[in-house]
Amino acid sequence: MLKVIGILLIAAAILWKEVPPLLEKKDKKELVVFSILLTIGVGLSMALGLGKPIPNPLDFLTFVFKPIHDVFVR
Amino acid sequence: MMQNAKISTYQFLILVTLFTIGTSILIVPSGLAAKAKHDAWIVAIVGMVIGLVVIGLFCLIAQWFPHLTFIQMNEMILGKWLGKGVSLLFVFMSFIYASSLLFYSGTFLNTHLLPNTPMASLNILMAIIIVMGVHLGLETIARSAEIFILVFFVLFFFLVLFISPEVKFENVQPIFEAGTKTVIQSTFPFIEVTSVNAIVLLMFFPVNVNNRKQASKSFFIGYIIGGIVIIIFTFLSVSVLGAYSTAAEVFPSYELAKRINIGDFIQRIEALMAGLWIIALYFKTTIYFYASVLGIAQILNLKDYRPLIVPLGMIAAVLSLVIYPNVVYQQNWNQTTGIFLSFSIGVFLPLLLVAVYAIRKKQLKKAPESS
Repeated sequence: MLKVIGILLIAAAILWKEVPPLLEKKDKKELVVFSILLTIGVGLSMALGLGKPIPNPLDFLTFVFKPIHDVFVR
Repeated sequence: MMQNAKISTYQFLILVTLFTIGTSILIVPSGLAAKAKHDAWIVAIVGMVIGLVVIGLFCLIAQWFPHLTFIQMNEMILGKWLGKGVSLLFVFMSFIYASSLLFYSGTFLNTHLLPNTPMASLNILMAIIIVMGVHLGLETIARSAEIFILVFFVLFFFLVLFISPEVKFENVQPIFEAGTKTVIQSTFPFIEVTSVNAIVLLMFFPVNVNNRKQASKSFFIGYIIGGIVIIIFTFLSVSVLGAYSTAAEVFPSYELAKRINIGDFIQRIEALMAGLWIIALYFKTTIYFYASVLGIAQILNLKDYRPLIVPLGMIAAVLSLVIYPNVVYQQNWNQTTGIFLSFSIGVFLPLLLVAVYAIRKKQLKKAPESS
């Protein structure tokens, strides 16, 4: 639980630091992308903090490149 | 706002050198010695020469649109949607590598210097300084590289000087026992780490370097300096530790620093030498991270890349703890999938661009020069 609170505090600090200049400049697109990425980041960190399994992007890449690899290496 | 940063050709040369040395200094000697045994240093030389061809390819591409980054170039040549798709792959690759280098620095520190510290905190610390560096911009990174390269080469010089009494030439004899086939086969991981991945440098190579004509030259020179450093390290690893120990170690060049013993007085200075690897790793990771952040911003046509840095740094820190469950998985992945990923982005994609450019040449020249 402590980890989750810590992560939320960090997220709050990031929001507090990054959002006001974006609102000032009225960069809506940047704000949207920033929020999506921050949500993903917070979600992943929480999953890691709570010991939940996170899908490994490398396994996906292995799945994609396995056929090519098999062609080249016998 | 993104394009204003200007670095000099000398600074670019230093960044190329540090990028080439990067991880290779830590892991390449063991990978080479595993296959080519005591001829690992020959493999490194052959690999460097082949790598020059790859660098030449990058320079060729960079010439066409000197005012565009690689992402914009993709869009220009391949069309909007295909270009964006390809760029997404490129960004994905550089982001994966940024987090994997975070993993490298984490495991390196964790196994050798700070065994009781959890890896998460080491990775987060490294991620924080990388985020800081990218936030300050390319110019700051280049200037700090200019300072740190001095530290790097002083440490490197002392390492080579102190270890040279330990060199046993019996360890590298008989020379060229491995045969041409093995040598060529085992160059691929070397080319991958040193030159093929240098495609991420195209994110700032023609655009942000002030003297474009000189820049190609410093790309080559920087690469050659970096390559020579790696060749020296490979040679020293094999000749001091022997081929078998070099292949068995995960970080052979660190083991090398442990062997330093001058008159039973100067010994166990490896922690000082770890500075070498931290400097090189830091700049390589920063370049990867910069490329992925700027890449995402340019794919989405954002005005500024800065707001994305902190959230992406957070994701990279988490990924660095997840992507490699252990070192065996890492080595296995690097040898199978990693090579193909790098080569498809770093060699196949540029060749595709060359082919498409050759076909669409007239049409592209007519197009108004937009940035």
